[in-house]
Amino acid sequence: MKVEVITLLTIFIPILGSLLVPLAGAISPKLRSFWSVLLGGITACLPLTLIPQALKGGEIIWSKSLALGLDFILVIDPLSIFMSIVSSFIGFLIIIYSLGYIHHEDNQNEYYLMVILFIGSMMGLVFSASLVFMYLFWEIIAIACWRLIGFYRQKDYILKADKAFLLTFGGAVVMLLGFIVIYEQTGTFNLVAMRGVAISGTAVLLILFGMFSKSATVPLHTWLPDAGVAPTTVTALLHAAVLVKIGVYAYARLFLYTFKIPDVWQQAIIIMAVLSSLIAAGAATVENDFKRILAYSTVSQIGYIFLGLSVATPTAISGSLLFILMHGLAKAGLFLCAGIVLHATHKRDIREMGGLIKTMPVTAISFLICAFSVIGLPPLGGFFSKLLVIMGTVQANQVWVAALALFTAVLTMFYLMRVFAMVFLGELKIAAPEKTPSMVGVVAILAVLSVLAGLFVSYPMKLVQMATTHISWWLK
Amino acid sequence: MTATTLLWPIVFPAAAAIILFLIPSRIKVVREVLAVLSSLVVLYLGFSLFSQKNLSLVTDWLGMGINFDLRLYHFSSFILLALSGFLFLICLYSAVKMKDHPRVREYYGYVFLAAAFSNGAVLANNFILLVFFWEALLITTYALITLGLKPTSHRTAVKSLIIGGFCDFSMILGIGLLWASTGTLTMDKIHVEPHGLAAAAFILMMIGAIGKAGAMPFHTWIPDAALDAPVSFMAFMPASFEKLLGIYLLARITLDFFELKVGSTLAIILMIIGAATIVLAVFMALIQKDFKKLLSFHAVSQVGYMILGIGTAIPIGIAGGIFHMINHAMYKCGLFLSAGSVEHRTGTTELKKLGGLSREMPWTALGFTVCALAISGVWPLNGFVSKEMVFHGALETGYPIFAIAAWVGAIFTFASFLKAGHSVFFGARSTDVPKTKESEAPIVLPILILAALCITFGVYNKLPLQTFIQPILEGHVEAGEHLDFTAHALSLFNPVAAVSILCLIIALGIHLYGWNRSGKKAYLASEPIHQLPGLRKLYDLSEARFFDLYEQGVKLLQWLSKVLFRFIDRPIDYLYEKVVTAVGRTFTGILQKAHNGQYANYLAWTIGGLVVVIWIILQLLK
Repeated sequence: MKVEVITLLTIFIPILGSLLVPLAGAISPKLRSFWSVLLGGITACLPLTLIPQALKGGEIIWSKSLALGLDFILVIDPLSIFMSIVSSFIGFLIIIYSLGYIHHEDNQNEYYLMVILFIGSMMGLVFSASLVFMYLFWEIIAIACWRLIGFYRQKDYILKADKAFLLTFGGAVVMLLGFIVIYEQTGTFNLVAMRGVAISGTAVLLILFGMFSKSATVPLHTWLPDAGVAPTTVTALLHAAVLVKIGVYAYARLFLYTFKIPDVWQQAIIIMAVLSSLIAAGAATVENDFKRILAYSTVSQIGYIFLGLSVATPTAISGSLLFILMHGLAKAGLFLCAGIVLHATHKRDIREMGGLIKTMPVTAISFLICAFSVIGLPPLGGFFSKLLVIMGTVQANQVWVAALALFTAVLTMFYLMRVFAMVFLGELKIAAPEKTPSMVGVVAILAVLSVLAGLFVSYPMKLVQMATTHISWWLK
Repeated sequence: MTATTLLWPIVFPAAAAIILFLIPSRIKVVREVLAVLSSLVVLYLGFSLFSQKNLSLVTDWLGMGINFDLRLYHFSSFILLALSGFLFLICLYSAVKMKDHPRVREYYGYVFLAAAFSNGAVLANNFILLVFFWEALLITTYALITLGLKPTSHRTAVKSLIIGGFCDFSMILGIGLLWASTGTLTMDKIHVEPHGLAAAAFILMMIGAIGKAGAMPFHTWIPDAALDAPVSFMAFMPASFEKLLGIYLLARITLDFFELKVGSTLAIILMIIGAATIVLAVFMALIQKDFKKLLSFHAVSQVGYMILGIGTAIPIGIAGGIFHMINHAMYKCGLFLSAGSVEHRTGTTELKKLGGLSREMPWTALGFTVCALAISGVWPLNGFVSKEMVFHGALETGYPIFAIAAWVGAIFTFASFLKAGHSVFFGARSTDVPKTKESEAPIVLPILILAALCITFGVYNKLPLQTFIQPILEGHVEAGEHLDFTAHALSLFNPVAAVSILCLIIALGIHLYGWNRSGKKAYLASEPIHQLPGLRKLYDLSEARFFDLYEQGVKLLQWLSKVLFRFIDRPIDYLYEKVVTAVGRTFTGILQKAHNGQYANYLAWTIGGLVVVIWIILQLLK
């Protein structure tokens, strides 16, 4: 198959297929599960076939002219291929996990529809090379996300979902203004045509609102911990695979690959990123709610990714891209472990848990491994990504920033070990067994993948290297 | 031998770890036999690579100058050999001591993984690869401490993880600085003068090295682990492996990566850390009431000698420091193992409950005595030789204060070992423990081997000094300078040796005085010093963990986190939750009021709007 065809299938199979989920659900729940897993599986497999293309380097642009200059343009380059592989693969694992987690809830038709639409739109966003279509997919994701966060229909949960929607939507609208500013300047929405254009600080600021709100960076982050009211599968999806990686991806696509941004903003973003990382780590240390701690931890780790992208040395950029993969695996693992614990104990406060390693050994060990990866300890994957970001930061002469980032890593170690000790060690308070096989299996797979990603880091690294050299063409 | 042989010391123990982990717990003897055999294979690899000397293996790894680069040369092959020797002894010992441990599968898995990581760290010739193996040891250390199965074990394990993490992160920053300034990560290509940023890099990397070795103030988890971790872990990690690795890296830093000048600020910083570690830790060791805890403080104190020796930047001092490293690993490993042997038979290591065990456990007592005399620096054992070299080096720098600190350390080292030996093996037989017998051969044998090595390395010090230590310093001293450290190795007739012997006599005096004062109870022999007016207060604060940087650091972290949460995160959330919604509500409220359903009202709105529109059109037409 041609690369363009594969890409189009990657985008439209899940988007169109998701609409058939309610139909399948109407026939039988079994068929719905099968259909959802099938769609997830196809979406996860298709980008894998693009790896040879990515390793070859270079980019393929495919476009379809539409009215009003709103052309549908796809960019197939190492960056978009890498991103689509990571998102669709983790998304697929989460769908499998959902089979166990969600099977006795209401509204499952809507759930699977939204999840698959979510993943499909992510694919669309990743491959879009037009600002208009980026925005379009961006908002489809926001809507899917809104429905999913409010999955349990309690009133206060709905309010939290509204908060998430309004904040990210608000950010996106401001970003749209930024796109218009750019359109004024260049007269096109085509990213490929705009490569190398220097944009004004105003445009950068406006677009940053969108990125920071989607990627939950301080000060636009508080919706993310609140979104923990969603089913854990959804939170995992938001944190690990799809949602919060959008802002980061957009940063790489817009501010590295496409535009040149003013130096002042470059420096400002570095400082915002590292502060965001520190503040969120502090909040994670104080919180006692299992999912809120993990949510703040995501905010904190996203800070590293932004840091690496904004210091913009080749080492740091490749570290950040690798971070997207490693954090995706590890954070999905952590959330899904939390899901197993929450599902079994019906508690959210870690002070009310304890000793669960006795009844949930696989979950506990998987949690520990994923936590080590998030902390950045070798031989796990998270080590390399964090190390490269920090090394790149030092290379860019931002020694104090790097020191602060390392301090945050110590804090990360502190709060994650605290969670582990309080949930899994000590006196057994609620003896809850771990279930179901599909849930525990997925968690174990994620932990093993974190280990393998560290031991065989040179394979993803090849792809990351290609992506780095491709998007940071101006560094030459 | 091809270059890929270099992978064996890493791959083989890692594979052994997985196999040992997978053997089901109910199968008993097979695991122990396999472990000992595997460690023998590793030892064989160590020997064959030691005879090989120069080998190098470079393959691509991450790109950007981050290669998978292993290099074997005289220094790394020496450390590799030493590591594999200790691995063998620990495995032999564990075969009996750990066989009934409920998590024995994990134990062997972690031990062999740690061996694989350590070998990797020693062979690494690329900084990123070094950090990879180096930091991975944090996980095995963490896991091994949790195997102590005490309620506080996990707490101590986390403590070791966080302290170790802090040190390793410092080292990462230092490596980053070095990379940014030199442009390479290949270890044998870097040699810079420590000025400006490079000096910062030096300090940061040094923290990584001495943190692993367990110098002050990064030592506080070791005494905790003495009680919370399995004793074979103590002999394995803090006593031997971590010392070998930490001091190896410190020597590489001061000799290879940076050019440390005699008496430069950085050298003096190192010497201060060394001297402070010696003195402060030995004072803590002196008053301990538990055999293992006493040993653990000595494991800290002795690092001071190594750091002091290397910090002198004088060949004899550096050689002394490195020699002390290997000597210390031998006798401290032997001491921990003999403490383990006592624990194995009596079930306790509290000095108060023990006494007069030498008749029932003669071999353990013998091994302990030799090692204890060696650590105290008694002629003609290995500790004497290396300590003398450090004293000479310290005096040659022109700062006698450091030599004095080292001598003070020597006094109290001997005093505390007199106390320990007197309370456990000699003196009256205590009634708290039932009659017992000598431990099994696999426990006693490693102790005796180590004791024998202590004697060999002392009496025939020429052998280790010339085969192991001398080649390390070649190329680092000015041409023509003599490299024979054995000249006055065992000489008793020089002022330095005289002072050292005087120190031992003072120590004996202190012990006998304390023993008499406390009613002939050996375990209370240190009480006169413990109760000295000023010291008492310091000791109490120290017992309350006031000087424990970790405990204080954790408080700081918690405080900082609260500040960040309450004063930044929550106010931001308040903005969205309260301010934004209140503004929205007020605004919609006004609009709601405007739409009150009265016809006249709406008409007024419409006419007003029309006026505005007409006005705008008129403006545009102008």
